Amino acid sequence: MKNIIKLTLGEVNRLGKYKILPISLATTLIWCILFFLITSDEAKELTPLFLFADIALMSIILLGASYHLEKQEGTIKSVLMLPVTQSEILISKTIASMFLTLESAIITSIALYFIHGITYNYAILLAFVLVASVAHAAIGMLLSLYSRDFSSMLGILMTYMAVFTIPALFFGFGIIPEKYELLMLISPSQCVYTLVNSAVMNEYDAAKIAIAIGYMILLSVVLFRFVVFPKFKRNSIEI
Amino acid sequence: MQNAFTIDNLTYKYPTAKADVIKGITFDVRQGEIFGLLGPSGAGKSTTQKILTKLLDGYNGMISYFDKDLKKQTNAFYEEIGVGFEMPVHFGKLTAIENMNYFSSFYKNKANIRELMERVGLWEHRNIKVIEYSKGMKVRLNFVRSMLNNPKVLFLDEVTNGLDPKNAKIIKDMIAEYKQNGGTVFLTTHLMNDVEQLCDRIAFCVEGTLGETSTPRDLKLKYGKREVKVEYHENGATEARTFELDGIGDNDEFHSLLKAKKIETIHSGETSMEDIFIIVTGVGLK
Ligand SMILES: Nc1ncnc2c1ncn2[C@@H]1O[C@H](COP(=O)(O)OP(=O)(O)OP(=O)(O)O)[C@@H](O)[C@H]1O
Ligand SMILES: [Mg+2]
Repeated sequence: MKNIIKLTLGEVNRLGKYKILPISLATTLIWCILFFLITSDEAKELTPLFLFADIALMSIILLGASYHLEKQEGTIKSVLMLPVTQSEILISKTIASMFLTLESAIITSIALYFIHGITYNYAILLAFVLVASVAHAAIGMLLSLYSRDFSSMLGILMTYMAVFTIPALFFGFGIIPEKYELLMLISPSQCVYTLVNSAVMNEYDAAKIAIAIGYMILLSVVLFRFVVFPKFKRNSIEI
Repeated sequence: MQNAFTIDNLTYKYPTAKADVIKGITFDVRQGEIFGLLGPSGAGKSTTQKILTKLLDGYNGMISYFDKDLKKQTNAFYEEIGVGFEMPVHFGKLTAIENMNYFSSFYKNKANIRELMERVGLWEHRNIKVIEYSKGMKVRLNFVRSMLNNPKVLFLDEVTNGLDPKNAKIIKDMIAEYKQNGGTVFLTTHLMNDVEQLCDRIAFCVEGTLGETSTPRDLKLKYGKREVKVEYHENGATEARTFELDGIGDNDEFHSLLKAKKIETIHSGETSMEDIFIIVTGVGLK
């Protein structure tokens, strides 16, 4: 436990030093500026999309950036020479990623409240964000481990987005009819949208939420256990 | 004396590669010695170090660490070993001291960071970001990193590569001292200077196979041409003659040369470690 705390503090400290946290804050601030330019109704409509973009996309990009920076610098080797376990390392990376998502969600929520008086059930949103961000940390690690460097990871991410994220976005904009939602939950991005949307709109479809949460948890477990964990050490040390 | 490491018929293949990189090597590293693994570039030295430090797994053969299976070592193993890498392994955007404090914070047995950094001349540069360090400074910081936990066994991959003679000497002195205090060192290198000055025993690694283990002295005796080369001044030019070292006491020609001529230099013609390297490995040093 002590190791996890130390590793996590190190990760979060480096998020700042490596300008990953500032970049995340800057994108969040751009949203917030946007809030001033739209009406409250529009803002309420768009809120799930803002939160969605952050969890489903930004978290993967930022995790990939930090992973490839570390790999390039060779620091993962040095960390692997510490008396810590690989699980502790992966847990701390996941927590750092959750921290980034949470930070954006909190700032977005505060801005929405002060600019447009929009509120929603924060506890439920928090729970959903946490579940979804663990799964997306796993997806981020997966894409990182299967890419040679950050730019090739962005290439893979494009494909991922085309298959999973863009359709969910179309769904969010109402381009894809709602009757396909259940089917679309096969996309992790759609799960994020469904969860965030129900928390913000305060409309809960038990079946869909159960499926989305179950899928996120299943994805986290399977990816970490069978892909990320076995591949992490090997991929982190070869340059 | 106990063996720190016993390696029996080790083979290793990188998952992405077609053939074995390490092709059945057997050797041991005794407690309290400096063991040198030598070999040309690409021979498999760093790979061997990465296997012994548990960075690479999936090897075949048996490796024991103080008589226990290396595969069964938990992460407490890393409390006991110190690892110096050939490539820089530090967070560039953090200062040197931030890097050291971070890594040090995980160890139970902590070395004095200030002492180590002062010794290698980095203390005054501790508040500089590592990204702004020169190559030699990064190498020295890598060495400090490897000593942070007062390790029982120290692994050093090309530890003096890229250092000026003064700093190379400082590091070598520290390694010798570390051994004096009971430490065990596994060192990989292709720098013959390091070997002659530091190693108790050495083994040559060539294309993933290992020759016999010997000492620098034995190698010199075995491969060295024992002869004496005398350079002397004659008719306004430098002349040279070579004599067999054996029976030199009775060699009249040698003695009269010494008496009659103005001698400039006398060298015993032991084959240098460089030459031996080339003879043994069949490859020139880069
Ligand atoms: N991650 C990797 N994946 C596949 N092959 C590798 C990898 N790392 C090294 N190799 C190969 O393994 C062989 C041995 O490499 P290694 O780094 O152990 O050599 P070395 O003896 O340390 O050389 P040098 O003196 O240049 O450091 C080389 O042929 C190299 O191409
Ligand atoms: Mg090497």
